[in-house]
This record gives sequence, structure tokens and C-alpha cells, in this order.
Amino acid sequence: MNRFVVGVRANLQTFVRTPLNVVLALVLPLVVIEGWGQAMAGLPSMPTVEGIPLDLGRLLGAIFGVAIIAGLMGLVQMISAREADRRLVQTGYAPRTLLATRLATLAGVTIVVAGVNFGVLWLTIDVEAPLFVFAFLALAGVVYAFLGALVGAVLPRLFEGSLVVVFLAMMDAFLSGDSPLAADVPDFVQYFPLYHPKELLQSAVFDGTFAAGDLAFVGGYLLVLLVLVTAVFGATMRTAGGWSA
Amino acid sequence: METTTAPTETVGESKTLVRGNALEKTYGSRLPLGRSTPVLTGADIEVRAGEIVGIVGENGSGKSTLMKILVGVLDHDVGTVERTGTVGWCPQEPLLYDRLTVSETFRLFGAGYGMSREEIDAAKRRLADELDFERYLDYRVDQLSGGNRQKVNLSIALMHDPDVLMLDEPYTGFDWETYLRFWDMAQDLANDGTAVVMISHLIEERSRLDRVFEVRDGLVHDVTDEETESGLRSDPEGEHE
Repeated sequence: MNRFVVGVRANLQTFVRTPLNVVLALVLPLVVIEGWGQAMAGLPSMPTVEGIPLDLGRLLGAIFGVAIIAGLMGLVQMISAREADRRLVQTGYAPRTLLATRLATLAGVTIVVAGVNFGVLWLTIDVEAPLFVFAFLALAGVVYAFLGALVGAVLPRLFEGSLVVVFLAMMDAFLSGDSPLAADVPDFVQYFPLYHPKELLQSAVFDGTFAAGDLAFVGGYLLVLLVLVTAVFGATMRTAGGWSA
Repeated sequence: METTTAPTETVGESKTLVRGNALEKTYGSRLPLGRSTPVLTGADIEVRAGEIVGIVGENGSGKSTLMKILVGVLDHDVGTVERTGTVGWCPQEPLLYDRLTVSETFRLFGAGYGMSREEIDAAKRRLADELDFERYLDYRVDQLSGGNRQKVNLSIALMHDPDVLMLDEPYTGFDWETYLRFWDMAQDLANDGTAVVMISHLIEERSRLDRVFEVRDGLVHDVTDEETESGLRSDPEGEHE
């Protein structure tokens, strides 16, 4: 039997049998998109900021909603079955195959989550290029899914790892966004995971266009994350881990 | 550290399937001033085809560490491990995926072993019948009782008919009938040439073992013909080490 296919199927079965995952994926977008929108609606419009605050808030809420769900899913995928994973590797699964099943599952579920977020966004604001918007939301989610997986591989503790992912996503969405409260952000913010996906999304929503440079940057970002998570996961699946005596 | 899969020599009629030479293992601390704990300090062991070997020792003596090193899921610091053929490993704690059903668990681990769908189904039916858990095949692992979960844990180690079977207290939670059936299975496997290595705590099992090794002071002692100082106690719930 094909190990990759069997592994992806098992991951998906595990995901949908965790009701909280499904509820979060369906409910959180509504709450986050509208919450961010209303939070920013009370802020004054700035001459340097594109779009009205309410719409911009919803846009940032959508990208944050995808990122945080995908990031937490990535984290949980790497932590929840760490010991069973080692046994699976002992049976013959190559760590890279096992990781590939995890990342493929994450990408698939993230696309669904992005679809939900896109649907909510489309119903609440005018979107110039719907397909691009959906694609860039999915891209932002995949970046955070891989980032969550990396955090889970490096820091295999659910509570601490969740704090890292949530704090990072909140700070990232806030500083990467064009919030009037974060207008003068330092240059290094452009290296944050959501900065370029947000640029892509914002252009697609308000102008129906996007900059190829932003897309290339996100592609490179994904590649770097992929290399890092592969290296760390491979190291954790090696047999020198901290098993109890 | 060195691990090979090279075949080893035949002793009498039985081929040596697993050999560990001068194995050393120390658990270190990740903290700068943390304590490091030497567990094995030069352990030697060899296991031959068709025999049932018991590993005994006090809690914390290094039995599980030794088994994990022989299986290949834990690195050793010094020494060599040679293995021939396939290995089935039944860890003391069932390392399974809670949200998968028993059938899905077989499919996932069977794919890992490189088995075909037909082989997996056949193994599942055979083991479910032998260990009496057919009616739970569609249950999720997290919905099983401890005993049934342990049956699945054992079955995953057995499903690919390994040449060497490494069992870390495999009967924890078994009822008496299952326990007896398990020993019949172990004996049948050994008769067919499988090497069965088992961490054991029960004095009743002494007569079922061909050889007994005690892990003591970081070394492995062949105590087949002696009373052990600490092993083989009447301690069916032997504390995990």
C-alpha cells in the first residue's frame, strides 16, 4: 500500500474526528473577521492607508483567522502523536514520507479553512479579484501551517507552542497590516510571515492585482520553512531522542 | 555507535538474529548543570532464532533501554548492534494513534511494514481472532479498554510475521485467558523459528523462557540457571522503567 496515501488518509481521519478542530475552522473566521473589522471601524482613516478601516479590519481579520488556525493545526499535528510517529518510523516509514503526509494534510485542510474565510470576507466587503483573494488567503495559511509545524517540531509542548504561535500571529497580523495604530513599523517587519501575503491580499481585494515580487518572496519563505521543518523533524525522529529509561 | 544488519553466525542449530556488544548508554540532561544517568555500561546480549528470552531486572535497571537499543528506536553511545531479519516491537505503553479505528491502525502500520492490502486484512483477521478483539475492529483506539488496546499494541508488533519479536511487558491488562493464549502464540512463534525477547516480571513465566538475562549494574548477566536477585518477582504491574 502507498505509504503517503495511507498516511494522509489517517491524518485527515484524525483531524475530522477532533470536533474542536472542525468547530474552530468553521466558527473562528466569522468571529475574527467581524471582530477585527469592528475593532478597526472605530479608528480614523489615515491618508496613507488604503481602504476604509472597517474593510481593512475585515481583511486583516481574514488573514489572521487563516494564519492562526493553520498555525495551531500545524503545531498540534507535530506534537500530538510524536511517540506514535517514532513507532511508525520503526515499522518502515521514512521520516520524510511521514512529514510529507503531515504537510500535505495541513495544506489541504488550510485550503478549506481559507475557503471559509474567503466566503465570509466575500460576503462582507467588495472583492475585486475573488480567485486571487482565495489563493492568497490559502497561501498565508500554508505559510503559518508550516510555521506551526516548525514550532511544534522545535518546541514539542502544546501550551508553550500555542503561546508562541498565537503571539506571533497576533503581532504579525497587527504589524504587517496597515493599521493606523501601527503606521510607523520598523523595516524588519517586511520579513514577518504575513507581511507579503497581506500585501498580495490587499492588492487583490482593493485593486484586483498583485505584485510578482511579493509572490516570489512568499514562495521563498515557504521553501525556507520547508527545509527547516524537514531538518528539525528528521532530527527529532532520529533515535537519540529523550525516551525514558 | 554502530548498527548493522549483517547476518551473524549459527550457534548449534540456531542462527543468531540479534547481537548487542559492549553497549553503553547514558541519559544526559539538556541543562548545563543537570545530572546524567548511566544506564548501560557495557552490556552484551545475543538472541537466537526459535528461542524465548526473558529480560529481567529491577526498576530503572535499563531493561527497556536495552530493548529499545536492540529494536533500533534508541541510539546507544558505545558498542555495536547486529540484527538479521525483520523486527516487531511491542512497547510497554501502546504507541498508537488514538483517533484511528483498530482497522485503520492496522492499515497504517501495515503500510509502514510494506504489506499489501490483502496481507494486512489477513493479518488483522488472524490476530483479531487469536486475541479475541474482532468486535472492536471499528472502534477507535481511544474508545478501547486498556486490555484491548494492549491486544492491538501487541498485534501491530506481530502483524508482519517478524523474525525477531521484542516485547516490553506485552500482557499488561490481559485477562487470564488472553494471557494464556498469548503464551501459546509466543511458543508457536518460537517453534516456527521466531526469536522472542520479552521483558518479564512474573515468576510464573520462568518455566516458559528458554534463557533469562538480568540487567544489573549496567551489564547483562545470563541467569538462566540461577535465581535472580531481583527479577521475576510476582509483580504483574511491574513499574515502567
